[in-house]
Amino acid sequence: VSESKSFEDLQRELEEIVTRLERGDVPVDDAIALFRRGEELYKECVARLQGAELQIEELLPGDPAT
Amino acid sequence: VPKVEHLVYGDRKVFTVTAFNRGIGMHLGRLPPVWVEGEVTELRRNDAWANVFLTLKDPRTGACLSVTIGRRTYDRLALELAEGETVHVAGRAEIYELKGELGLRATTIERIGLGDQLVALERLKRKLAAEGLFRPERKRRLPRVPRAVGILTGADAAARGDLVATIAARFPAARIVVREARVQGKGAAGAIVSALAQLAAHPAVDVVVLARGGGSFEDLLPFSDESVVRAVAGSRVPVVSAVGHEQDTPLCDLAADVRAATPTAAGALVVPELRELEAALAGTRRRLGLAVRSLLERDRNRLARQGERLRTAPRLLLERRRAALDRTGARLQTLSPLATLNRGYAIVRAGGAALRAAAEVQPGDPIAVQLAAGSLDARVEEVQV
Repeated sequence: VSESKSFEDLQRELEEIVTRLERGDVPVDDAIALFRRGEELYKECVARLQGAELQIEELLPGDPAT
Repeated sequence: VPKVEHLVYGDRKVFTVTAFNRGIGMHLGRLPPVWVEGEVTELRRNDAWANVFLTLKDPRTGACLSVTIGRRTYDRLALELAEGETVHVAGRAEIYELKGELGLRATTIERIGLGDQLVALERLKRKLAAEGLFRPERKRRLPRVPRAVGILTGADAAARGDLVATIAARFPAARIVVREARVQGKGAAGAIVSALAQLAAHPAVDVVVLARGGGSFEDLLPFSDESVVRAVAGSRVPVVSAVGHEQDTPLCDLAADVRAATPTAAGALVVPELRELEAALAGTRRRLGLAVRSLLERDRNRLARQGERLRTAPRLLLERRRAALDRTGARLQTLSPLATLNRGYAIVRAGGAALRAAAEVQPGDPIAVQLAAGSLDARVEEVQV
């Protein structure tokens, strides 16, 4: 799962996979691969929601855009 | 012109205090009405009084002038003047006879500059609207889960506190980037523009909230400055405007992607409720499992049906072939002349060809007659055409 993807990208991809599987027009081999990918996306989403703490950063007028 | 009574002591003309004050008052009454500018101090208004009193002060010299205005007139202006505000007062000089005090009898009061500022603001609003800056189709959707929320705020602890508290309560894992800026007074517009640019350039910031508590019309003016409004409309990331109170509509509200009535409301807009998000994710995962299971189930069933068909196929094929053969046989039967001969017809041939007309033969010609069973050789006796 790509680090650079936003939470929403991950969530959207997961939703698309579920919708495709629910529609049912997927060969079995693909279905299993899609399921694995879906599980991976789900875990990444949950991981991003947990563990992190509130983080407040102060910018000052001269600060370079890091 | 009425004369003011005076007493005479020998060759001395003497006025009573009342007469003197009245005389001065009569002179003052002949002066034209004027506009006077000053700062409002000592504003006194009481429902029981016929007049409202205030003192106008010249901020440079400290010189003061008493102003009186009819209470109803004052109330109709609906100015809600505060101490220290600069106003223009129209009126005539008058003297308060009982005290001998000079004052200004006001007919109207205007907050200085406000009228012009409102007109300028309205003009700017129309111009920017004509450019399409406020069009609804320009509005961007806010990210559901921003990597970081940018907060642009003044040294306004309350607005910032409310916003941060709301974000933290809804989404404890939030990342917040705060940039304080001068948000009122001289240079505020420029400070807001550069602070917004700095926040938008931050690599993690996906949305920016302008958080500014309530303030006077003048205090909120920088948020209607053309440069600020354009910066908000052109921002790289979506902007939520939480500026002033509900009744205020600084122009940045119109240019922002979303307007929030309060900093708390803004907080609820920029981050999701963690528990709801987790529940939604769990629901999606459940659907993922169900979908793949039912897909596999369906596949297994299809396989079973295919096996069954494979076993029955050869027999079916044979039966179908036989049936087809039978049908062909039957058709062949109906076409065969033999079937016709069976019904009592005969075929007559002369010289090998079947006869269709009597005129084709002469009396005495040999003919062959084919019957359903066997044939006859015969000779023509007579021809009837």
